[in-house]
Amino acid sequence: MEVDQLQRSFVEYSRLLFHEGFLDGQFSQLQLLQDESNPDFVLEVVSLFFEDSERLLNDLTIALDQQNVEFKKIDAHVHQLKGSSSSIGAQRVKNVCIAFRNLCDEQNAEGCLRCLQQVKQEYLLVKTKLEALLRERHDKRVVHDLNCGFIFQLEQQIVAAGGAIPMLNEFC
Amino acid sequence: MQISNWGQNGHSYKMPKMILLATNITVAETEKAKAAGFADTVIMKPLRASMVAACLQQVLGLGRKPQNGRDVPNKCTGLRGLLCGKKILVVDDNIVNRRVAAGALKKFGADVQCAESGQEALKWLQLPHEFDACFMDIQMPEMDGFEATRLIREMENKVNTQMNGGCMADGTTKKNEWHIPILAMTADVIHATLDKCLKCGMDGYVSKPFQEKSLYQAVAKFFESKPISNS
Repeated sequence: MEVDQLQRSFVEYSRLLFHEGFLDGQFSQLQLLQDESNPDFVLEVVSLFFEDSERLLNDLTIALDQQNVEFKKIDAHVHQLKGSSSSIGAQRVKNVCIAFRNLCDEQNAEGCLRCLQQVKQEYLLVKTKLEALLRERHDKRVVHDLNCGFIFQLEQQIVAAGGAIPMLNEFC
Repeated sequence: MQISNWGQNGHSYKMPKMILLATNITVAETEKAKAAGFADTVIMKPLRASMVAACLQQVLGLGRKPQNGRDVPNKCTGLRGLLCGKKILVVDDNIVNRRVAAGALKKFGADVQCAESGQEALKWLQLPHEFDACFMDIQMPEMDGFEATRLIREMENKVNTQMNGGCMADGTTKKNEWHIPILAMTADVIHATLDKCLKCGMDGYVSKPFQEKSLYQAVAKFFESKPISNS
């Protein structure tokens, strides 16, 4: 397992996400809330976000497709999406939601439709990135657990199998 | 070696962590060593810096460093001191917000119960209850945070009036009042909203998602300076 590479790419990827504004400081807060007593916290919250957002985007699509657009209802959905994206640090989604709400206030149906497209795009982008990030974190954690718990066993097995023990750089 | 006898009398002496270095040790032997209190963990020789680092982290119970190097530990002590063991009700109609808020509070040792509506909050806060505080989202469908708070205060006033209706034999009135601290959780902190919060009977507000500093400041008013009398 190329842990070095994994860890390097993890750091670089996180930096890229922050730099491009996909995720803000709130996401790092979530990472801080994850510990031994709550080992899957980030995964849980992100999964809930995906489920919740997809439901809301669906409801929004239906609502904007109506003959008589109910802006109050749409605003309520967008408010929800703004809140949840804010809670996980999905900054760009949140920002589009803010613009979306203004358009609801103005009762601008066309503007709302455009915003819906935009928010869907931003959601898909952050979803892809979060999924990739979670995959990398999982791999890193698997290695970490191996490291701290069972390394002597592994080492014996590796040596017995004629292999070389990989160099593992632990960092935070 | 009689290491295990050290530090048994009183907590002032802190046992140093013991890390056993071994070249050839079986799993069974390792477990025996750990169980006997002889070693906290085992490292295989030859030593590698990375392995030593990982083991030290493990035995010294060091968590991950904050990603942006912020001064988290001090604030944690403060918030942990305030929130540890406190029973808190989090009311928010959004599942993601609930989970994140609960996660943050649990990190500081709070015992968290979530409710997804004002109506559900009322059920949890039927008197008598054992909650120490309530974090309430403002904008919720059907019953918003203001309305829920108003109804909670009504409930409390009713019971308080019944409890304290009569004077004591020595002419004084027993001062035992139900008043659960209710903090509004809001993403948009405008003064107008704050005024409305206070008018409805809320005790303050905290921005969401939680920021440690503002959370601490908001909570410190209730769990340090003002003892809650629930009987």
